[in-house]
Amino acid sequence: MNQNLKKIPLFNLHEKLGAKFIEFANFLMPIYYTSIKDEHLAVRERVGIFDVSHMGEIKILGKDAKKFANYILTNNIEKTNFGDVKYSVMLNENGGIVDDLFSYTISDDEILLVVNASNIEKDYNHIKKYLWDGLNLTNESDKTVEFAVQGPKAQELLQNFTNFNLDKIKYFKFDYINIFDENMLISRTGYTGEDGFEIYMNKEIGEMVFNKILNKGKDYDIRVCGLGARDTLRFEVCYWLYGNDIDETINPIESGQKFLVDINKENFLGKDSLIKIISEGVKRKFVGIEVLGGIGRHGYKILDKNKNEIGFISSGNYSFVLNKSFSLGYVNLPHGEIGEEVIITDGKREFSGKIVKKPFLKPRVKKEE
Amino acid sequence: MYRVVEGLFYQKTDEWLKVEDDTGTVGITDYAQDKLGDIVFLEEAKIGKFVNKGDAVISIESVKAAADIHSPISGEISEVNLEAVQNPQIINEDPFGKGWLFKIKIKNKDELKDLMDAKSYSEYRK
Repeated sequence: MNQNLKKIPLFNLHEKLGAKFIEFANFLMPIYYTSIKDEHLAVRERVGIFDVSHMGEIKILGKDAKKFANYILTNNIEKTNFGDVKYSVMLNENGGIVDDLFSYTISDDEILLVVNASNIEKDYNHIKKYLWDGLNLTNESDKTVEFAVQGPKAQELLQNFTNFNLDKIKYFKFDYINIFDENMLISRTGYTGEDGFEIYMNKEIGEMVFNKILNKGKDYDIRVCGLGARDTLRFEVCYWLYGNDIDETINPIESGQKFLVDINKENFLGKDSLIKIISEGVKRKFVGIEVLGGIGRHGYKILDKNKNEIGFISSGNYSFVLNKSFSLGYVNLPHGEIGEEVIITDGKREFSGKIVKKPFLKPRVKKEE
Repeated sequence: MYRVVEGLFYQKTDEWLKVEDDTGTVGITDYAQDKLGDIVFLEEAKIGKFVNKGDAVISIESVKAAADIHSPISGEISEVNLEAVQNPQIINEDPFGKGWLFKIKIKNKDELKDLMDAKSYSEYRK
């Protein structure tokens, strides 16, 4: 085993809960406890709890922290206030995606960025490189634990622990609330396509909080969920996975993330490149494919009907709700029309596929009207 | 502890073989189904096809991985478990029973001596 692997703070608890572990982003992470399918369906039908403490927390502190965040991120952070969460991408100067992340606006002078585990160091260095004078950057990842409580019963479960009416926290909003006599940050966000919350706290109280939620969760037939279900859940609703679906060689126009870019902002990192990309037009497109007879996985090739290579698969998985196999991937334009028939191959096996609409399953998050 | 059934033959790639007269039934072991996790695809073997011992006959696929099923013995595919093709989850649920994969008309029973018995296999996958 890799000696440099980091243990997540609650490793021993997960081991006790029967987790099977895999290496992920230098962490030894639980992949599943009962089975990926069982955990997946628990989140779609009831509630699941994920320990996502591997995620990174980076804070920008000081005067004009919000303005700076607005500069390094593509979404409009300038207009946000306390309690707002924004999903953004962060670009390099060429318009390539350095990471996709959530920003939490705590005040004009304090912004929390929640970043992908595999990108913590890279993001920190990237932000540091562009950091304005007078601002401070802190990496809080090692002292923070994060749990995601997801599913149609998530709110009901968490409401047991607080007098604060959780209805007040709308989709993509957060607040600090008191649970178990501890102050914690809680947002109505997630990576599953279900209603639910993400909760951040100091690692010292992590195990206590996790156990309390889990014990009460038994009333709702809760499942502890691993990275396996996290991936199948996000995949079904076509949420991007950094490192698979997006990376620095891909820009947000190709990846279908233009909605995360406020191109009218005065200035932001990567803006010039992105304007050029938009005016010249992109050469490939991010598509969903229904696959027959197997799973078209990351790295498999996409061929047209005449077996010419036209693209690659970025993610592939099985939908436990739709009982079908799907892939996400990039095809060279003008390919990529809905209904187009394609072939997916790993070089040995070939599966037939058809380009279909995304998302495969509609997210059931509680968006505000 | 993984379940192992007495009276069957086993090979290192985690398939089992049950022999009745000249017919062999092939499946994957409890160890294999557990390692694969939720199985979602089973390729349909071609009836009438001759396979050699050790050949990759069909592929089986879980959410986590795709794997080849190697024939433990040489012979002609004589029957396919269509229920398992249509509902591969039964391989997870009952790998030694309802989740069998295909049957084969055994060409040469001498090949059985290369396979493990239940005791050796459980030692191997202890």
